[in-house]
Amino acid sequence: MTDPTKRPARLAAVAIAIAITLAFSSAGPIAPSLVAGDDGPHLYRERIAPVLKAQCYTCHSAASKKLGAGLRLDSREAMLEGGDSGPAVVPGKPDESLILQAIRHQDGLAMPPKKPKLSEPTIAEFTRWIQAGAPFEGSGSSTTTTVRSPLQMAREHWAFRPVVRPPVPEVADREWIKNPIDAFVLAKLESKGWRPAPPASRAEWLRRVTFDITGLPPSPDELDAFEHDRSPAAEERVVDRLLASPHFGERWAQHWLDVVRYAESEGFEYDRHIPEAWRFRDYVIDACNADRPFDRFVIEQLAGDELSPTDRRCQAASIFHRIGPIRRNAGNPEIALSRNEVLTERTDIIGTAFLGLTVGCARCHNHKLEPISQKDYYRLEAYLAATQENDINIATEAQRKTWLAKKSQTQQEVKALKAKLKGATEAERARLILEIAALEESIPPHPATIPAIRNDPKRRTPMYVLKRGVWEHKGEAVGPRPPSVLVPDSLPELPPDVADPRTRLARWLASPSHPLTSRVIVNRLWQHHFGVGIVKTANDFGTHGDRPSHPELLDWLAARLVDEGWRLKPIHRMILLSAAYRQSSHPDAQTTAVPARDDPENRLLWKFRRRRLEAEEVRDAMLSASGRLNPKSGGPSVMVPVDRAIIAALYKPSQWQVARDPAEHDRRSIYLTAKRNLRLPIFEAFDAPSLTSSCPRRESSTHAPQALELLNGRTANDLASAFAARLRRETRGVPSQTVRRGYRLALGRPPTPREEALALEFLRDGPIEEFALALFNLNGFLYVP
Amino acid sequence: MAPKPQHHPARARSIIFLYMAGGPSHLETFDPKPLLNRLHGQRRPKEFGDVKYQFVSGNARLLGTQRTFRRYGESGIEVSDLFPHLAGCVDDLAVIRSCHGDMVVHSAAQYELFTGRITPGSPSMGSWVCYGLGSESESLPGYVVMPDPHGAVEAGQPMYTHGFLPAVYQPTMFRPGARPVLNLDLPDGVNLPQRKRTLRLIRELNEATVDPHDQEFHARMNAYDLAFRMQTEAPEVLDLSREPRETLDLYGIGAEPTNDYGRRCLLARRLVENGVRFVCVVSGGGAGNLQWDAHSDIEENHLRKAAETDRPIAGLLKDLKRRGLLESTLVVWGGEFGRSPEAESSRGRDHHNLGFTMWMAGGGVKGGQTIGATDAIGLQTIDRPYHFRDVHATILHLLGLEQNRLTYPHLGRDERLTFIEGKLIAEVI
Repeated sequence: MTDPTKRPARLAAVAIAIAITLAFSSAGPIAPSLVAGDDGPHLYRERIAPVLKAQCYTCHSAASKKLGAGLRLDSREAMLEGGDSGPAVVPGKPDESLILQAIRHQDGLAMPPKKPKLSEPTIAEFTRWIQAGAPFEGSGSSTTTTVRSPLQMAREHWAFRPVVRPPVPEVADREWIKNPIDAFVLAKLESKGWRPAPPASRAEWLRRVTFDITGLPPSPDELDAFEHDRSPAAEERVVDRLLASPHFGERWAQHWLDVVRYAESEGFEYDRHIPEAWRFRDYVIDACNADRPFDRFVIEQLAGDELSPTDRRCQAASIFHRIGPIRRNAGNPEIALSRNEVLTERTDIIGTAFLGLTVGCARCHNHKLEPISQKDYYRLEAYLAATQENDINIATEAQRKTWLAKKSQTQQEVKALKAKLKGATEAERARLILEIAALEESIPPHPATIPAIRNDPKRRTPMYVLKRGVWEHKGEAVGPRPPSVLVPDSLPELPPDVADPRTRLARWLASPSHPLTSRVIVNRLWQHHFGVGIVKTANDFGTHGDRPSHPELLDWLAARLVDEGWRLKPIHRMILLSAAYRQSSHPDAQTTAVPARDDPENRLLWKFRRRRLEAEEVRDAMLSASGRLNPKSGGPSVMVPVDRAIIAALYKPSQWQVARDPAEHDRRSIYLTAKRNLRLPIFEAFDAPSLTSSCPRRESSTHAPQALELLNGRTANDLASAFAARLRRETRGVPSQTVRRGYRLALGRPPTPREEALALEFLRDGPIEEFALALFNLNGFLYVP
Repeated sequence: MAPKPQHHPARARSIIFLYMAGGPSHLETFDPKPLLNRLHGQRRPKEFGDVKYQFVSGNARLLGTQRTFRRYGESGIEVSDLFPHLAGCVDDLAVIRSCHGDMVVHSAAQYELFTGRITPGSPSMGSWVCYGLGSESESLPGYVVMPDPHGAVEAGQPMYTHGFLPAVYQPTMFRPGARPVLNLDLPDGVNLPQRKRTLRLIRELNEATVDPHDQEFHARMNAYDLAFRMQTEAPEVLDLSREPRETLDLYGIGAEPTNDYGRRCLLARRLVENGVRFVCVVSGGGAGNLQWDAHSDIEENHLRKAAETDRPIAGLLKDLKRRGLLESTLVVWGGEFGRSPEAESSRGRDHHNLGFTMWMAGGGVKGGQTIGATDAIGLQTIDRPYHFRDVHATILHLLGLEQNRLTYPHLGRDERLTFIEGKLIAEVI
């Protein structure tokens, strides 16, 4: 809040040092907390303590350099005893509590000083807490002086405790249960006296599950097959077919690519392409399709190069560390500053993607909301200290030589032309600029490379706690160690030059007993199947993240994942075949009036959540309906034609080179080049992520530019023409067949009589192209029921 | 994106940001330094302290300016001879001579100027403002960026975009030429009566199955109505052909070198007149010397860039004022940094972020004053330093928004434009 330069950052370091000392000294039994009302300690832990810590501890805690007014606010005793002016807190009597007068700015008191007044809701929470008797989890009753450190308290947070497989709950309506997932969901609903929604129709379920697993609509053949398969195992057959499809990886890899903010260029000024970063995309697709165990998946990405330095797959996995934004500058890039930025970027994404913790805040100061100290942060970064870029050349020597020769020759020519620019007339300039662009485009693709990483012990960056995150301000030296809240106090740091440091981090993360890794990934799975996770904040399992709607179910799934050998497909399968997943998204409004009122977010899953197609699905579904989809999988990314003005907005327009083979333009969206400084308009309009920071869950907004994109945009019109041509071909232009076929291909169902009549009326003299375009613009096309 | 209530009564309804890409020199424009001319060719005296530039090294020589300054208007604010037209509007300007940012390289400084962060991925001012206030226009986008037709700036598209905010707050990037908005024109071979029929078909087919209580589906259907209005009404707003000759002349339209920037400034006026919330008009793009990035020759570069923009900007201010629009339109001028007192390659100036000038006008701004100061050679701010986040906080304030209440949850934090809290520039408001 205040200028951070005026706040001695050392205080923070002292605070954590003391907290850790306290942690060592208080090994005794945990004292009973003073409970007054259900939410007392909870209120303290969640709402009061963070404010005290962030706003008051600098001057009013054991860690304060100079104690303000003789008052400490870090234990209940100290608050009751008060400071120079008397007790800060009088339990049950807010109006007699000085701390409230101070934060309310009454009677000449105004705390925190020189800062904006605390918000009214926060002040109200303090009032409520004191009214409730000021229960304080961190201290004992008056008969004991045991003080638990914030770290010890934080270890009690649900997500930091071990996963314990809970028993599957008993429910009244056993008929509804298809597998244990349903028991957990139904138990919650029954506790409210609610009923689950009736099942979706078979056609709805097929459309839902097909988009969910493959990101594509069911084909007419698949629709037919399912319509005719009335056996009890029909659904299982569909799910098994979909999970075995190569399109599964093409859909589910995208979710992971969102989380790790995958892109193929570095962003910033030059937005330089990372050579062959697509190999990471293919690695993730392959890992999904092969159902590589998630623990292995973690280890390969974090430490593939250490694990198996010559294995192509492990090398490709380690591209993980290369896909973040990197700032490169002309002139005198400060090596140490840039290095610090690179390491920070690489550290933050590990916290977000694997731990589900926003560690990044602790780069500059002890985390205000989470039990992550600045020291924890730099200890985490220390695992990466020796990590350097390592572009592995996998082309033959001849290929490389040819490429280098061609490149340097072209560069010479470009240089010569650029020299001519000076003193050229406007007309000459324009011609020269075109020539230069053409030349730059003529450089052939980079020879095969894996943009991997490796450890270079000689260039290891010594790690220090950096005051305010500024690399020049070095504090205490640190070595690798996981965040303190997740390991015993007795665990020492590793030596800074320990061999294979990232393997150690990865093995710790991927250990079956790790409390976060399994919970975080099964929650991501759940989120993509149901639209919202059991924990809504999929990247934030910390004390300020969302609390799980079904904590037992989350733990049951996490335990099951580990039992399944960390294979995700069995978890997908169970979810997809559950009755919970089968529910209708549009149950009768009258029978669901109560849950709709009490649980408008549908956290307890009293119905299924309809969802809009994601950006890539919108395009892929249009490709699929029009029959133009090129199902080729893997390989170099494709640049598609885009409006010239968009390319002109690039700092180097020659970086966008449209693929020469037009069939490549019809590849699935995951295979299009993900360039940080050029996002396709259709993706941008439909909430594709920014590619610059981790995206745990996509927005789903509704606005006019989406309509303009689908009505007038190049992709939609091009594919509507192709769709129209297909309809003409397959129905010989017979209007009634055109309408039925069009609905089946685009919406996966026959038209209702009313829809059919409207469409036929339109087609009496309206072009089929416009009918096809209209189908792409229907709610029934853009939403999965 | 309907209008939303402000946090407090607003002074300004819209904002036009005249973005001078590349970093215009404060020393050649609004911050005269006679001592710099006296020290020309010498090394910087030690007492001015040490700074880091991008290219210039520690032993560079100071570079005096060839510009002459004069006092203008009732306020007597000094403006250089680069801006003879703008000088006539000086009583409307609050010239902030003590701006500073954290970064000395383009892309990072541009991100900080536009988003408050030195890395890409956060929403720009324009997106935040639309998120806070919604749009007053039924047929135009709420947030428009008009890039320089010469090309991109270093930070690229991510600098203007909505970051982690929903896509509804994205900027509409205007293209050069007569048809600036992507997807606003019908595709080739489709005429308007036909398209109207298609839209009716879409509505009727959607209505055939929609639940009357389904708000999301109705919102989507309404988005099509809005899209159609944009398609039919926006071209009229974008059409400058009915503007009188006198107005075109005021902006320098039809004459070089002012035609392009003049057209875009006039377009900006027409947009805010029709309820657009945030318009960014960029001067400079493509290669560095086509921006204000005068590394090799400050004279050549700034004479050229000023000649392109001086009349259009003055025209915009005068035109807004005579239409009574200046009171409700905040106009902000500035770049991502200023330039070094030292010479680079003998006649140019390097980037410099520790003290430079921005100005604000209209929208409730107290004009006719200078605020803050740099030291005697224009190296560092010595009086009332204002960071980009202070500029952001002030812009939000004038628009009726409170920086700490305009938040959006992202990755575990309630993010805001100003990151670390900004202080309001009290002199301005």
